[in-house]
Amino acid sequence: MGWLAVPKDWIATFGEMSKFCGKIVGQVYGLRVFRFFGEALRQCGILILSSTLVIWGLVFIIGLQCGIEGAYFDRSVGAPAYAGVFAAWCDLRELVPYAFGYMMAAKVGTGIVAELGSMRISDEIDALEVMGFNSVTFLCATRLLAAWLVLPFMYIAAIGAGFFASYLAVVQQIGEVSSGGFFLIFWMFQNPPDLLFSLLKAMVMATGIVLVGCYYGYNASGGPVGVGTATAKSMVLNIVFVHLIGMLGTQLFWGANPRAPIGG
Amino acid sequence: MPRIPRIGRDRNDDEGQPERPEDRDVRDAAQASPPSIFHDEPASAEPTVVHPAASAPAEPEDDLGWEEPATAAPEPAQAEAPKREPIVAPGFAVMGAGKEADAPKRVSVVNEPPVDPTDEYAWHTGLVRPHGMPDAVEFIDVHKAFGRNKILRGLNMGLPEGKISMILGPSGTGKSVCIKHMVGLLYPDQGDVLVHGESVPNMPDDDLFEMRKKFGVLFQDGALFGSMNVFDNVAFPLRQHTDKAEEEIVATVSSRLDEVGLGFAGDKFPNELSGGMRKRAGFARALVLDPDIVLFDEPDSGLDPVRTALLGELIQEIHEEVMQQRQESGGPLPAFTLITHDIMTARRVAEHISVLWKGRIVESGPAEELFNSDNAFVRQFLSGESQGPLGME
Repeated sequence: MGWLAVPKDWIATFGEMSKFCGKIVGQVYGLRVFRFFGEALRQCGILILSSTLVIWGLVFIIGLQCGIEGAYFDRSVGAPAYAGVFAAWCDLRELVPYAFGYMMAAKVGTGIVAELGSMRISDEIDALEVMGFNSVTFLCATRLLAAWLVLPFMYIAAIGAGFFASYLAVVQQIGEVSSGGFFLIFWMFQNPPDLLFSLLKAMVMATGIVLVGCYYGYNASGGPVGVGTATAKSMVLNIVFVHLIGMLGTQLFWGANPRAPIGG
Repeated sequence: MPRIPRIGRDRNDDEGQPERPEDRDVRDAAQASPPSIFHDEPASAEPTVVHPAASAPAEPEDDLGWEEPATAAPEPAQAEAPKREPIVAPGFAVMGAGKEADAPKRVSVVNEPPVDPTDEYAWHTGLVRPHGMPDAVEFIDVHKAFGRNKILRGLNMGLPEGKISMILGPSGTGKSVCIKHMVGLLYPDQGDVLVHGESVPNMPDDDLFEMRKKFGVLFQDGALFGSMNVFDNVAFPLRQHTDKAEEEIVATVSSRLDEVGLGFAGDKFPNELSGGMRKRAGFARALVLDPDIVLFDEPDSGLDPVRTALLGELIQEIHEEVMQQRQESGGPLPAFTLITHDIMTARRVAEHISVLWKGRIVESGPAEELFNSDNAFVRQFLSGESQGPLGME
């Protein structure tokens, strides 16, 4: 039946993707990737130099918005001192992971697809293979390792940028709560496990984005148009993936227990 | 027999029309065939037989308005052209010779046996002429299809050690697919590919990666890594596969780059190089590990004739150099394999030729014997003649 072809195709693609991603993760866990540790370090450098500022910048802007909206909302309900709640929850639990995921998908994920895809269509991947290199290890596993090495630090720094922006908006711009009052509530509504959970959300997003990028780039075909199509497909899938991980992470970590001094 | 219509010679359409420059070019090119590759060969004294189909005055094609060259009226531009003796390859007959001295001359493939037009393998004798060397690579009844498109259909081919082999054949006939099978980038649907007697499709991944170190491959556009400069591209296999000191690597890479005339371009990135330079850099990279088998995928595409000739000479020089080294050291003799459409390169460089068509070998053997083959397809292809079993289909 014709209508079954599309879901069948999706399932087949999902199966292929899972197999491919399993292979990449296996190359990292099997430590084979350390044979190309130099390449992994080069990828770390590329990530740091090309993506750090743009991710921090986006998160800073999100932090500003969160602080302004939170401050005005709390003033409207007669509790301006509680503006720190928004900074603690909105930044840490939701918006920073999402902003991080969006920028990872747009900058890093599409970059990987474009780079690997152009290597594929210009025979560079075949050239690697015929020189006796495992191209999946050299091209994909090194990128995943680089992401795991660099992104936790980049993400934690991004959270700091978001908090700092919220502080600026609430305390310096709106100015209806003192610095001490802001931080009292801010620290009351979060604790170290929240930071860990937020980090986990972001790292799962980042891992998925890198793997999806590698899959679409490595398997690109059909010339430059094919690379463009693969890039678009990866972006769509990554955005869906980011939201899915965001929702599942919130449900898992804070769905049953808000982990906050509220009510009973 | 399929033919290519000659532009501007159709009386029904072009009578009374002024001749276009492009038409003149096409006609001149047709008159000049066969190409000058036959210049240094004596004309054959043996009697030649023109296939009846080639000389029959009333063929179905005539209904389409195509004209036999012998009866074509000379045009003013031809009349002014200096008269030259026709260049005839051994075994080729000049059609209409002796009838009209000024009429355009053409050659035709001779000794064509009558064939069954429904048999697409009528010309595939599969004749393997002995070359006296063991095969470095063997294809055994290899079949490969991409979807419904069957590319290799029972390919049996050997590429001898110690020789420069050439795989020739029309476009889209599976030559590049052959290269990918040799290095294990593609696996046959059926049949086997042996490299030095080991089955490539049955190798575990680790063995396959190890086996690939025997190969050096020059891809069509060089396939240089865009993120590295030329020097690092060439040094890459050495740095990854050997424990050589950096000074030794620098010396080896510089030597290879000098050989291909790119000693000055080590710090340039691939996007700063011309197509020919990228190809030469790819050549240097393919050779840097002193591989046993070197594969060249259309090394002459995109190169001017002089550079093509120089590249051919370079391939010969390096092959000889490696041969000497291996004969002294006792290692396997180098098998260089080129895929090309360029008959000039084949004439200059090839020691062994395999003619591939429709996924099978038509004939293979030492180059001299192939150039004198009786097989109509082989003769047509190796002379670049438009008339013969191969058409535009």
